[in-house]
Amino acid sequence: MEETELVQRLGAYAAAQMPGAQDVAVTEIARITGGASRQTYRFTLAWTEGGEARRRGLILRRDPADSLIDTERRVEFEAYRAFHGGEVPVPEMLWLEEGDAALGSPFFVAEEIAGFQAGTGPLWTAPYLDSLPALGRRKWTILGQIARADPTALGLAAVLPATRAEDVWRRELDHWEGVLDADETEPLPVIRAAIRWLRANPPPPAQKVAVVHGDYRTGNFLYDAQGGIHGVLDWEMCHLGDPLEDLGWSFNPVWYFGQGKPGGLLPRDEAVAAWEAASGLTAAPDALKWWELFACVKGQAIWVSSAKTWLDGANRDPILVYPAWALINAQDRAALKVMGHL
Amino acid sequence: MTPAVSQVLADLAGRVARNAAPNIPPADRAGELGLSALLLGLAAEMWDGAAEILVQENAELRSLLAAGAKVWGEESRRRWLEALAQGRDESLRLSALQSANGELKVALIALHAELERRGDPDAKALESEVWRALAAASDRRRLSGSPV
Repeated sequence: MEETELVQRLGAYAAAQMPGAQDVAVTEIARITGGASRQTYRFTLAWTEGGEARRRGLILRRDPADSLIDTERRVEFEAYRAFHGGEVPVPEMLWLEEGDAALGSPFFVAEEIAGFQAGTGPLWTAPYLDSLPALGRRKWTILGQIARADPTALGLAAVLPATRAEDVWRRELDHWEGVLDADETEPLPVIRAAIRWLRANPPPPAQKVAVVHGDYRTGNFLYDAQGGIHGVLDWEMCHLGDPLEDLGWSFNPVWYFGQGKPGGLLPRDEAVAAWEAASGLTAAPDALKWWELFACVKGQAIWVSSAKTWLDGANRDPILVYPAWALINAQDRAALKVMGHL
Repeated sequence: MTPAVSQVLADLAGRVARNAAPNIPPADRAGELGLSALLLGLAAEMWDGAAEILVQENAELRSLLAAGAKVWGEESRRRWLEALAQGRDESLRLSALQSANGELKVALIALHAELERRGDPDAKALESEVWRALAAASDRRRLSGSPV
């Protein structure tokens, strides 16, 4: 869809959602690059209400022709909505459209939290360098708060598929091994060995069945130069499961960004301490190791799917090639490290 | 590398040409060209050593499979490993080397699982060799900007 048509159709859609508004118009629309599973746009919505001119910065997240990660946009939308207004900072969700009629594919619209960084590029330069430890403590504190949250009280138990504490590891491993089976374009000896180890050495049952963000890592939150976090993003893989899954994913060595510590932010023991203090849970080393190795399997499944999506030809966005080229070997190395072979 | 470098370069060529048109929104153009530049940089780094890496890796895999054939008692599996171990990289085209690499890795995965299942001293010794080879292969494939 051409940008002029997108502006027109988005404006018409917004006007239909705002019966008290006149002269509704979409302006200053710009694609935000970097997302491989959704197309993300920043835009300003302008309208007149009660004789007064108003403007608001908003975000449009639309499904591309062939998404990298097959997820329900309702899951992502409801996860944001559940946490909005609480201690976990997230943007406000406005509208969800699950059909193709309005914009050609499903989408949602959310408030824009402006003025903060999300990308990792500037993180290890001034003026952010001095605040990295504070940012790290904040990052794992928020993750602990997500783990502590009650899925039923948040309304997410009604949206996300139920699971039992003793089954969560098998369900997640089955799912991501299935993705590898379907999408692998070259054999992966390291990851297949990791899967055999995971099945032979299952973790203990989850301490609780919690909300799992699913992609909680540096780069998926909005931060400032004082160590503050203003919005946790990318909830599209949110599900119910073992809270150690998110902690293990955050410790995936590919998210060290070459800085020698988790997230490129904080020594591992300090990150664990912040998470345990906020969650009220324990990160037993053996169980955490299982989830760290699982994170390597899940990561590899996502990078492999990225290559498959590009090769299938429906979506030739260059962003799909980057993880396949830059991260598949890195993820193998991460798995080798976690298993003690590198 | 998957997708193949030649395929990606062909796609990037078309993409760069399209972005030369004057009516492309600046933010879209910046995003596409920035990513294209990133991939071109990766391709440049991979290109010179790609064939050598695959030739070395295939030779190491054949050596492991030859050793595996000596310890795997089951006849059809032993012959399978022996046949693969005796192969040679006749063509130095990346597509041919990659195809052979895939076949060899399928066999390595089967051998690795069998060694784990047996667990006797001979199997454990060869399993250590498999892990050493996998680590060495990941070292050879490591890009300069790799996070791990």
